[in-house]
Amino acid sequence: MIGPKVKGITPPEIFVGRHGYPMVRAGPVVPLAPDAEKPKQPSLGMNMGEIISLRASAVRSEARVGVMEAESPGKLLESFQEIAMSSTPVGTEVSFLKPPKPKLNFDGVAAPSGPSGEIKSLEITTNPAVPRKVDEAVEEREGASIAVGELYNAGVGVDHISRLISLGLLGKERKLVPTRWSITASDDMLGKAMIESIVDAPLIGDYLLYSGEGLGNHFEILLTPRPYSFELVEIWMPGSAWAPEGWIVSDREDNTGKKGYSPLAGGYYAARLAALEYLAQAGRQAGILAVREVSRSYWAPLGVWVVRDAARQSMIARPCKFDSPKAALDEIEKRISTPVGKWLPKASLLTRPVQKSLSEFI
Amino acid sequence: MFKAVINAETLRDAMEAVSSLVDEVKFSITEKGLEIKAVDPANVAMVSLKIGADAFEYFKTTPLEIGVDLVRLNDVLSMADRGENVQLELDEENHKLRIGVGSLSYTLSLIDPTAIRKEPRIPDLDLPAHVTLPGGELRRAIKAAEKVSDHVILGVSDDEFYMEAKGDIDSLRLKIPSTELLGLKPGEARSLFSLDYLEDMSKSLGKAQEVTLEMGIDYPLRVNFKVGQAIEVNYLLAPRIEQE
Repeated sequence: MIGPKVKGITPPEIFVGRHGYPMVRAGPVVPLAPDAEKPKQPSLGMNMGEIISLRASAVRSEARVGVMEAESPGKLLESFQEIAMSSTPVGTEVSFLKPPKPKLNFDGVAAPSGPSGEIKSLEITTNPAVPRKVDEAVEEREGASIAVGELYNAGVGVDHISRLISLGLLGKERKLVPTRWSITASDDMLGKAMIESIVDAPLIGDYLLYSGEGLGNHFEILLTPRPYSFELVEIWMPGSAWAPEGWIVSDREDNTGKKGYSPLAGGYYAARLAALEYLAQAGRQAGILAVREVSRSYWAPLGVWVVRDAARQSMIARPCKFDSPKAALDEIEKRISTPVGKWLPKASLLTRPVQKSLSEFI
Repeated sequence: MFKAVINAETLRDAMEAVSSLVDEVKFSITEKGLEIKAVDPANVAMVSLKIGADAFEYFKTTPLEIGVDLVRLNDVLSMADRGENVQLELDEENHKLRIGVGSLSYTLSLIDPTAIRKEPRIPDLDLPAHVTLPGGELRRAIKAAEKVSDHVILGVSDDEFYMEAKGDIDSLRLKIPSTELLGLKPGEARSLFSLDYLEDMSKSLGKAQEVTLEMGIDYPLRVNFKVGQAIEVNYLLAPRIEQE
């Protein structure tokens, strides 16, 4: 049973719902572990059960707020914003109108959420640690995509950035953004900035194959010596989270940019970001083919952080070098369960005509 | 200082030729007229546009550069009626462009020209084959090709200009013999282009009486045409290349 008052430490995490938009429910998520100094955060190193029980025991406190209130917040929303700006856990004490009831909700993009209750009063019991760069970004009111890029370059993590977006703390117009949208928005904005930084960079020299896995999500990421493009093929094996029967879906973009929102949703932008981080750091460009094979052991969706972290984990592994796409495909065939012949027809990166850039003709 | 008067429709058509590719541009203004050179963010398509001083009803300037948000400028221009003139006047001190349309007067905030993507270096290309045809006809052909694929081959063989689009299911071939063209300079030409870009360009070139295409083999496409009498538009589009 959860009492009418919860004392704890938020990682920090603030949930902003999307139902009822523009009147949404928002509030800090406080794990029920009063003595822990640092709340445990889900990571690829845990198993599915651990992550789910961690989420089931974190209480989502809620108050109804209008998204436009972010501009001139009341006292409660202001304390949510203070918590969101912190880079370290924040002690939080919440009294509820009614004791929260145990429950668990899954979402395709955000992490699963646990019991929720309406806030009667809220108190911050430790000082939020706000990095100077974050303070500046919140004060300066530059365009959101510029602010996001500067924060990232200053070493502020993607989670922290999406928290700032969500609480309406960045950009020229300030409004709350539901957590689910803010996660994709930060992955997308950062990805776009990186694409811009690599489109004139030299091509990589060989076919480089990276692979890695976490929580039943296996990645094969092939970098090809071509102008920038990104393609994600998702293979959902029978019994995996969204796919009792199993299916294969794909989406792509090239150096002329992406129009509209990917049908692969948040996972597309998270995987793209992981591959781009590598290229931006290396100062190279490449055509990226990412294959994500999701096995039955990923039986519940845990949020796109799994995709981002599994793809990042792949990109830090040592790659295998090949001199032809055929050789790379033969290697992928050995590493995943689904035969190449089944998924390759869904991929067009290796066959479609490459868009040249005008600078190649100077 | 910069002060000018121009027909609203003329300016609107000129800006449309540019805004289909880029949102923010630098106007380079000299006593000869107004010039824009811009490349799209992917560095695939380039536009250059010249509005000669004689296209204006009134034109007086010192050489200068200003940065303009075309989306906002087009918004303002859309308020003008067909035959109406617009007055443009630079407020240098406040970095604003004053735009008068009829009895309405707008001030448009300018962008720092150094914050705008650098003007592209224009490749010096020798494009052997030239084809001239009515803009409307080219636009129709681009529309037809779009129904079939997302890219199209443009080429010249013997005495004809051709277009080929191949989709997963359907394909399309269009041939125009030299006798039906407004002009043809034969040469070896066959290149593949993105229809997304051609479609963007066709909005503007579709209105031109004559459009000249200059092509080579796996080489960029140059498109020249005039908007009205005194506005020259020039597009350059990088090709797509088939994989072996």
